[in-house]
Parts: sequence; structure tokens; C-alpha cells
Amino acid sequence: MMSSAGIVKRSAPVLACIGLLAVWQVASLALKNDSFPTAIEAIRAIPDILGDKEALVNILASLRRMAIGFGVAVLVSIPLGLLMGRSAAVAAFFNPLLMVIYPVPKAALMPIIMLWLGVGDITKSLVIFLGVSLPVIYHSFEGAKAVEEKMLWSGAAMGLSPAQRLVRIVLPAALPEILTGCRTGLVLALITMITSEMIARQSGAGNILFNALDMGQYDTVFAMIIIVGAMGIGLDAIFERVRARLVRWSEPQFDLPLSFS
Amino acid sequence: MKVVPSRSSEWVKPVTRQEPAPAIIEIDHVSQVFQTSARRAHVALSDISLTIEERAFVSILGPSGCGKSTLLYIVGGFVSPTSGAAKMKGNAITGPGPDRGPVFQEFALFPWKTVLGNVMYGPRQQGVRATDAEAQSRTLIEMVGLKGYENFYPKELSGGMKQRVALARTLAYHPEVLLMDEPFGALDAYTRTRLQNDLLNIWERDRKTVLFVTHSVDEAVFLSDKVVMMSKSPGRIRQVIDIDLPRPRRRSELLLDPRYQKYVVDIERMFDESDEAGSLA
Repeated sequence: MMSSAGIVKRSAPVLACIGLLAVWQVASLALKNDSFPTAIEAIRAIPDILGDKEALVNILASLRRMAIGFGVAVLVSIPLGLLMGRSAAVAAFFNPLLMVIYPVPKAALMPIIMLWLGVGDITKSLVIFLGVSLPVIYHSFEGAKAVEEKMLWSGAAMGLSPAQRLVRIVLPAALPEILTGCRTGLVLALITMITSEMIARQSGAGNILFNALDMGQYDTVFAMIIIVGAMGIGLDAIFERVRARLVRWSEPQFDLPLSFS
Repeated sequence: MKVVPSRSSEWVKPVTRQEPAPAIIEIDHVSQVFQTSARRAHVALSDISLTIEERAFVSILGPSGCGKSTLLYIVGGFVSPTSGAAKMKGNAITGPGPDRGPVFQEFALFPWKTVLGNVMYGPRQQGVRATDAEAQSRTLIEMVGLKGYENFYPKELSGGMKQRVALARTLAYHPEVLLMDEPFGALDAYTRTRLQNDLLNIWERDRKTVLFVTHSVDEAVFLSDKVVMMSKSPGRIRQVIDIDLPRPRRRSELLLDPRYQKYVVDIERMFDESDEAGSLA
């Protein structure tokens, strides 16, 4: 049984999508521009792409680079951020470094990295790694910094060593904040993935998109945009489910405490 | 200090003096100076010496900013004194350890663990087998009055319940000394009274040494064998008062007892004289 408010809430995203496609359709028909296919034309092109083996291999290659870049970034950034949050010396060393890297668009580093490492997977994964690292480091750092001193003292009194406290108290306590950083990182991974493939055209989802653009296959271009967008939404939705599970203990639905002394 | 013969003691029975219990904590000329800026230093504690006997319930009472919590943190090993030393059973305290269990005003529970997970944490860290740790923890949770809440997360509990969990979590690893840092300071008056009563009942079972920091005169007199009165700027010990009231103490009886009332009034007057009563509340 679902309340009427529940039905509205559930169907809202679907309605928004339909509304957007309708606006697109009408705008396209009104403008009558070759480079602006209608929504229906774009959607029709999707099965052609997904049915094409070569296109699928390209998309999977993109996802693999993204997974590597994201995975390595998370594995490196979380420990670094936590250490920075708990040690003033580590923070003092890395903070200026990160401040310099922070405003640089990571894709702008691609030409240099390409020069050194070629146009292959390593270069692209490395750029994705750079794009993901900063938000994850930042949120891990903030999360670790905010851990209550007395919680660590309680652990120390139980006999936890400083290393154990970092892994068994700081990490779980900072997890909600860390996962917020990872979620931002995931979206950035997708963006950097496409950008990197746009710069080093060789394979991948970005490559299909820009090749189609070169050849004037505008329905394919728009279909790829829809596919990439759907990938982003899908990955984010999966991540959000995992996140919600991991940090159930901190979710606001528990905010009403029981009244009992 | 004066020790009351344990459970058998009747209400009006005269208090008997016994051999002093051996010292468990010795604080020897401890001073603590915080550098607040390059030029300014704040003397939180100035030359504190204090001996705490085994199985005594000792309160440290004083206005905000008198360094009473800092003194507790030094005994806990969480803070190193600027000069002087604290000893536990003759050994210099160099860091925290499971022989001294803290209970903080802020509860400091592990929010990602359930009530049971929090209480089991210490014993598991000490290498107790999971099944044994769980059984012991369930008993403790029942003792602090939270039976049925084993699988709740801290976020789902009220302040009073959280502090009950914190107490159980600390008792679970059997510290020899309980270090309580204004544990009921964040609770409403009703909850506070209930927890004071329950704490005394729990304490009566095995009479661990307790060092209890508070700014409430009533609370200090009600709970303690000994009240250490502190003054601020710089934090010093003003006076140490033995509380000769029989145990087990019942709140309803104690509040009517002229001896209890006299302790409270005397202590309040002493703070009044030094014009610090205002900051006591």
C-alpha cells in the first residue's frame, strides 16, 4: 500500500524525464536543425549502439579505466586524508601541495601525461585518479578532523594503539563524510573519463561520441549523451544504496531518540 | 579517610574508623600550563597533590575553569602534566590504560556500533572470546537498565540512556578506577537524579575506586566519601572534606538528614566566601 503522496514522490523523477524529453522533442521540431535531432530519433539510435559489439567493447573499456582510476584513488586518498586529519605534521606537508593541484583542471594535465605515458589506459586512468583523489582526500580529512577526541580517548583506554584507533575508530566515525567525498568522486570519474577520451581519441564512450560528431551522425551523438548520462545516474544510484547501507547508523531517520532516562 | 563497614551498616549506626585503605592514585605536585598564545599562558592547575585510596568514591568539586577535568585527564593519561607526576599503584602514568576507565559528559559512544557492540568493544579488545564478551555485556546492559535495547544504535537513545551505555561500556573491561568527567552534566534534573541513584547502586556491588568530577555540590556530597574542593585561577585544591554519611545511601533519607544538609551548606558557604559561587552553577 502506498499513500498518494508516496506515489507522487516515486513517480516524480519519471515525470521529470518525460517532461524533459517532451521539451526536447518540441524544441527540435520547432528549430528544424540537422544538428539537433528529436528526442525520438536519439532514443531510436540507442539500441543500434548497444547492439554493436565494437561500441560495447568501447564502453566497457571506458568503464574499466574509470573503475581502475576511481578504485586506486579511493584506496590512496582515504588513508592519506585520515592521516592528514589526525596529524598536524602530515596535514602541514600535504595541504599546500593539494592547494596547488586543486584549481588545476585535471584534463589540462593530459597533454603532459600523454607525452610521458602515451595515449593508452595508463594515462586515462591516471587522469581519472587525479580527478577523484581531491574530493576524497578533502572529505576524509574533514571527517577525520571532526572525530571527537573523547571517542579516541575511550578507545585508548581500552588499549587501542594509535594505528588501531585510526583504522577502528577514525575510519568508521568519518565514514559518512568519506562516502560523501566518494560520491562526488564517482561523478568526477565519469566526467574525467569522457574528457580524457575526448583528448586522447582512441577508444571508449567519449571516442564514439566525438567520432559520431565528426561524421555528422547527430542522432548517435545525442544517443551517446543519453547513455553516458544514464551510466552516471545508474552508478550514482548503486553507490547511494551501498552508502546508505554502510552508514545506516548515522542516518537522520534515527533522529528521534526514545524518551526514557 | 573513614570507611563505613559495607552493606551491613544501618542508618544511624555510628561510623567506625578503620585502617586507611592503601593508596591507588597519587598525584604529586602536578601543574598544568596551557600556552594560549605566544605571550600568554593559562595556569589550569597549580601544584596539586592528592592521594586517592582504593575503593574510595572521591569527587572533585569546583567552578568551571578550575582545571578539575584536566586533573582527571592527567590521571587518565590523556594529558601529560606540565610538571609533577601522577601515579597509579606506584607506577608513573604515561598514557591511557584499561586499568582506568573514563566516562565522559559527551558520552563518546561509538555511533556505528549498537549498544551491545559498544559494550563488547573493550572486552573484545582485551582478547575475551566473542561469546563470553557478549554474555558479560548482556548482563551489564541489564544492570544499567537497558535490557531490550541491545540492538539499538546510540543515535536512537536519549541522553540518559547513552550515559548508561557509556557506563556499561567502561565497566565491561573491568577498570580498577572509574574516571567520571561530569557524567551527568548534560542531563535534565530528573534523569540526573535517577542516574545518580543507579550509579550508587551499581557502585555498591564492587566498590571500585571512583574519581568523579562535578560542579554540583549536592551531587558531590550525595555520592562521595571525600570531596576535593577546588578554586580557580589558578586551579588549586582549597580543601578536602570527608563525607561521613552511612552507606548504602538512599536519596529520600539523605535529603532529610541534617548531616547531609550541613555538608551541602558548609561547602556552599566556603565557595561563597571566595566569591566563586556564581560560577559554580
